[in-house]
Parts: sequence; structure tokens; C-alpha cells
Amino acid sequence: MTESSALQNEVSLETSIPEGGASLESILCTEELHRRPSRPPDYEKENRALVKLVSALADSPSTIFHTLADTIQDITQCDSAGLSLLTRDGKTPHVEGQRFYWPAICGMWGPHVGGGTPRNFGPCGDVLDQNRTLLFTHFERRYPYLMPVSPAAEECLLVPFYVDGKAVGTIWGIMHSSRRKFDAEDDRIMASLGKFASSAYQAWTHIEDLKIQVAEREKAEAEVRELAKGLEAKIRRLVEANVVGIVMWNLEGAITGANEAFLHMVQYDQDDIASGRVRWKDLTPAEWRNRDEQAIAEIKGSSIFRPFEKEYLRKDGTRVPVLLGGALFEGGGNEGVAFVLDLSEQKRAQEKLRDAQQSLYATQGELAQISRLTTMGELTASIAHEVNQPLTAITNNGSACLRLLANQNLGPEVLRRTLEEIVADGNRASAVIARIRGFIKKAPSEKSELDVNEVIQEVLALVGPELQKNRIAVKCELSTSLPLVFADRVQLQQVLLNLIVNGIEAMTAVTDRARALVVQSKIDESGVLMVAVCDTGTGLSLEADRVFTPFFTTKANGMGMGLPISRSLVEGHGGRLWATSNSPYGAVFSFTLPAAGSSS
Amino acid sequence: MTAAPVVFVVDDDASVRSSLKFLLSTVGLQAETFDSADGFLHKKHPDVAPSCLVLDVRLPGLSGLDFQRELATRNICIPIVFLTGHGDIPMSVRAMKAGAVEFLTKPFRDQDLLDAVRVALDQDRARREREKEITDIRGRFDSLTSREQEVVSMVVAGMLNKQIAAELGTAESTVKVQRSRAMEKMQAESLADLIKMIQKVQSPSQKAS
Repeated sequence: MTESSALQNEVSLETSIPEGGASLESILCTEELHRRPSRPPDYEKENRALVKLVSALADSPSTIFHTLADTIQDITQCDSAGLSLLTRDGKTPHVEGQRFYWPAICGMWGPHVGGGTPRNFGPCGDVLDQNRTLLFTHFERRYPYLMPVSPAAEECLLVPFYVDGKAVGTIWGIMHSSRRKFDAEDDRIMASLGKFASSAYQAWTHIEDLKIQVAEREKAEAEVRELAKGLEAKIRRLVEANVVGIVMWNLEGAITGANEAFLHMVQYDQDDIASGRVRWKDLTPAEWRNRDEQAIAEIKGSSIFRPFEKEYLRKDGTRVPVLLGGALFEGGGNEGVAFVLDLSEQKRAQEKLRDAQQSLYATQGELAQISRLTTMGELTASIAHEVNQPLTAITNNGSACLRLLANQNLGPEVLRRTLEEIVADGNRASAVIARIRGFIKKAPSEKSELDVNEVIQEVLALVGPELQKNRIAVKCELSTSLPLVFADRVQLQQVLLNLIVNGIEAMTAVTDRARALVVQSKIDESGVLMVAVCDTGTGLSLEADRVFTPFFTTKANGMGMGLPISRSLVEGHGGRLWATSNSPYGAVFSFTLPAAGSSS
Repeated sequence: MTAAPVVFVVDDDASVRSSLKFLLSTVGLQAETFDSADGFLHKKHPDVAPSCLVLDVRLPGLSGLDFQRELATRNICIPIVFLTGHGDIPMSVRAMKAGAVEFLTKPFRDQDLLDAVRVALDQDRARREREKEITDIRGRFDSLTSREQEVVSMVVAGMLNKQIAAELGTAESTVKVQRSRAMEKMQAESLADLIKMIQKVQSPSQKAS
């Protein structure tokens, strides 16, 4: 029932008062209480009753109203006793209620428990309005709705009680016959029980509040559970749909669960996961471990890591490129979930595109990069070939003459012709040598003032596709406060290109660690401009000094000329080029260049 | 021995070609020179004398290794001595695997080249002899009557005259006559000799199947 309809009910009740209903004064006889002979107080009984009430309040507060009604009847020896409480809904107490209800009644009126009276037209309302104890006699004479409530009340003693200064209800006792009349002693006891009723009321409402709170919490929890169930179903759908790979993992490196999509990518099965043999740390190739560490650091800070691209090792050792993103589960544990997308198709498409682009560049000849990449190798190979041809002819001719001489079969005409050939081939060989020298010496005429960092960037742009193809991470550590150098741009490019390509080739065999190329430019301790190219490749071992010897090579298809030529070029600029070992792996090739206008 | 052996020299450098020809002449070897692989392929060679190729890896047009492959596809069996401007390990491994006799780095010692050429010519000579012998045996086997060929096959398979006679439905004495006539035509001095001959003819085809 809503509040407004309750009010309407009461209005209709009020307006339906029969004409000639007895006046309030005519049904009150409160003053008689103190004129009547009073029975002596039985303090012992009263104390026992109060102790019983207090312990009931402690032990079973939910039935305290009933216990109170019982006590009233017991002490006052009345025929019926009970409580009236203000209510809105007729079932639970409320201080702003517009009617009273009877939560507990003992004695002859016991069957009427749950009934009640209106706030503004009834004995309880009168008591609250006058704010004092009242004694009624036959109140049904004024309040006709009490007429059918039987047995009729000869006398009714009503006492208001309060909580925080507000009247909330009454306690009452009723005599249905004139066998005994309420007296001053009853008034005193009822006043005292009224105070107890107040605390019982508070205790009871607290408990009810608590019950409501508990019920609300249970409801909320049930809702959360329901929501979680719905969410779980959705998540399970996502996992089982196998649209993306999904992995449960922990920070120690284990995979605790995965869906079929993920297993398909890495070619393992559920048994492998269940056995704990498959660890994401083991699925990650060495050169990607650093990136993983980065993601772990990120996840420890913000409990998610942003998606990034990496590779996984399949069961058969091949690699699959993936996009990976994920989060830690809530609660600060070390377990989390990640999604994994297979990028093979995209990579293939990218590679095709890149290949197409590259062949386009190559055919159009618009970019010098490819020819430049091979210039050094071709140069050295052709030097070897061109010098070797006349040398071979000279050796052959000389050997042949020696053989004929040994057989005393060498005619002067043959000898003259052969010697002429030998001289011609000797001249040819020295012409080749002169040309190479000319190539190296001629170049410095094209020197200009250059920014070394700019040249480094140009060369890195040139080798970008090579680096990407070989999965090499590049790091530039370029000082911004370098002086300009006076140098030949093309030669400087050739030196850098040679050192970087060497670095790339030294790392192609590396699979158990990150492939990283670092290019540095700086001013060293002695104030000289220095450029260093560091790799994590196979390193120099014992050959550090020999790498600059012409025709020395560790590469299967190397000529052994790149570094000697690079060194000549650097020395032609007044600088130095040398090699050291990188720690813990690889090599560092460093060269210096004098600043423009510093010396010569 | 029939015709004098020939060394074919293929190199794009005229000095190298003529010096090689001169060097080979000092040990009495005849050389024919070509400036490219195509030049060699386009000239008809009477295939009678033992021969070998001395080949530069770096050739204009068809490279030395491509040339080697080309010869193999044309079923031309000629031993090859490779010459190269610089020591290139993978290239030499490939060449040797494909049957090259030697892989020499320019400039080479004269003796190394002459030794390699001698080995190559010996290989070719042995191959020619082997092929000639097989052709001869085939010719002799073809000259047998079909009955004689049947008898030879059974004899080689280890059957006794009596068994052969039963198999062919003739008298043992007839088999004996046919057998001795076949031995004579095949120029086989003993049963072992005959078996060896038949094996020589059969083995390559059996291996191939």
C-alpha cells in the first residue's frame, strides 16, 4: 500500500465518524488513577520482571515486543496488554507513520495482533497528542471502529514512549471487566515500562535495519554473481570462438591455459599446456626477450601492457609473428590474460609489398641504395680478377719457358714473343693497380663540410630494409654537439655502409640473443670526433688485428677488401679506423675524423 | 691409342688463353681456346679423342658454373678443371660436387694445372674405354640368335644345361652346342668372363631402374 492511499483511508475513516460519537472527555478517567486506593509496590516482582526483560533484549531481541506485552500483563495483572507503534505499511514501525499497528498483544486481545488504529482519531493518537499517560473507559463509544473488537475494554491504560524525543508508540493494558481497576501503582510501573519500551524499540529497529542491510547486501551479491555468470558466459564464448588467441599466464613464465586459436598458432596441443611443458618464456626467441621484459615492467606498473608485435617459436622451431596485448587479473596476483593475433598473413602481405617496392626501385634505378650496397663487393672482386688475369698469364708464360729451357727446346723467336707478352701483362697489372690507387686518391677532391649525423642517418635509411629483413634492432646514440667535418660524403657513406653491412652479416647467424646494432657519434676524451658501429654478432675472437689485412675474410662470400678500403678512406681523411670487442658479444668498429678546419 | 688428346680452354682473357695454350704445348698437349662458353658450345667437336675443359668461373654471358650445368643437361660428359680469380669456397664446393676435377685459384702453379689436366684426361680416357667396351659387348650380344641370347641369360642366371633344356623343351646336347657357340661369339674365355660382360652391360641400366 502506498503512503497516499493510506492517508485517503484515514481521511475516509475520519469523515465517517457517526454523528453523536462520545467526546474525548467523556471516555477519559485519568485523574481517577490517583484517587483510587493504590496497592503497595512489589519491587521484588518488578525487579525480576525488568531483569527478565533486559536479558530477553540481549538474548532474543526479535521477540522483545511480545516479551514486553507479557511483562505488562504479568505486573499489572490486566486482562490484555500490548504495544501500538506508528507505521506506514502496517507491518513495520516508522516514526512518521500515519496510523498505529499492534505488533504484540497478550491476553484476551491476543487474536487481534497485527490490527491497529488511525493516528489522528484514536486513543493512541490522543495519548501522543496530550503527551502523557491516559486512562480510557469504554473508548469504543468515541471510536466506533473499536466496537467490533471484543471483548470490549472496560478500562485501558495507555502510556506513550519516545525515541530521540519523538513519540513512536504506546504501551497499554486493558481490563475487560470491573474486577480490578488500574491505580497509581500501575501508572508508575507503566511509566517505567514505557522507558524500557523505548530501548526495546531502538534495539528492534536496529536489528531490522541490520536485516534490511543484510538482505540488500545479499541481493547485491546475487546480482554481482548473476552478472559475473553472464560475463563468464560471454568470456567463454570469446575464448571458445577462437577468433583470437587467448592465453592465461603468470609472471614466472608459465602458461596456465590457452584456447585452440593460440595452440594452433604455436602448434602445441592442450596436453602440452596441461603438462606445464609450454612456457611463454620458452616460446619467445632470444632476441625478443628484452621486449618481453619491457612489457613485464609495464604490467607491473599499470597492470596492463599495450599491444606490441613480436614472434613466437612454434613447436617445430619455425617462427610466427604475432600482436600481443594483455593485463594482469585484478587482486595484485601474478596471473594475467593476453590476446594474441597471428600476423603471418599481414607480414607476408607486407613482405610482398616490400619486395614489389624493392624490385620497383631496382628496375627504375631511382635509388642508388642497391648499387651502393654492392659497389664495395664488386669493386674488390673486379680488382682481384683484373690483377689476377695478367698475373696468371705471366706465370704461365714464365713456367712454359722454364720447361722448354729445361728441355733445351726454347727457340729465340718463341722466347722473344713470350717475353713481349710477359712485359705487356706486367704493364697491364700495374695499370690496374694505378687505377685503384687513383680511385682512392682522386676522391678527396670532392670534400665539403658535412654533418656526420646526417650522413649516418642517410646510410641507415639506405640499409633500413636489410636491417628489417634480418630482424635487427637499431639504436642511434648521436651527440648533438658535434663539429662539422671536412670530408667526401660518398666515401664517408661507403665507410659507414661497409661497417654497418659487416655488422648485419656478423649477426645473421645469431639466434640465441638480441640482434642489436648501435651507431654512436660523440666527442671522445681527447676531444676528437668519433663514430662507432657496435654489433652483437659473432665477434672478432683472435682476428681483431687481421681484419684490416687485404683479402682476409671470415665470411663465406667475402672478399676481404671492405675493411682495408674503409681504413684507407678514413686515413685519407686524416682519421683512424680500428676494431675492438663488444661486451659481452660482438664487435665495435670505431673511426675518428678531424673537425673541419682543425688541422691541415 | 687413337687420336691425340685435346684440352679445351675457355677464358675471356686473351693473354690467359694464349699463355695456357703455350704452357700445355710444353708437355705435348694440344689446346683449343675459346673466349666464351657459347663459343665452345657452338663449335662441332669430333668426339673421338680424350678431352677436358679448362674453364674460368667468371665468364661473360654464361658463367662457369652455369656452363657446367648446361653441359650436364646436354648429357655431355667432359671433365672440367675450374680456374677462379679468387678463392670462393661455396662456389668451389658446388663445382666439385657437380663433378669438377679440380678448382684452381689464379695465379696457380704450372704443375698444379698440368696435374689436374692429366687427371681430367685420364678420367675421360677411362670413361671412353668403358663406353667402348660396353658398346662392343652389346654389339656381340646383338649378333647372337634369339635362342642363343635366351641360353646366355639363363646361364648367367646360374642355371645348369639340364635345367635350361627342360625350360626350353630341347635336348641338353642342343643347349650345349648353343652355349659354346654363344661363348665364342661373345669372345668369352670362361663362364666368369661371360658373367662379367653381361653385368657390365646390365649394371648401369639396373642401377637406374
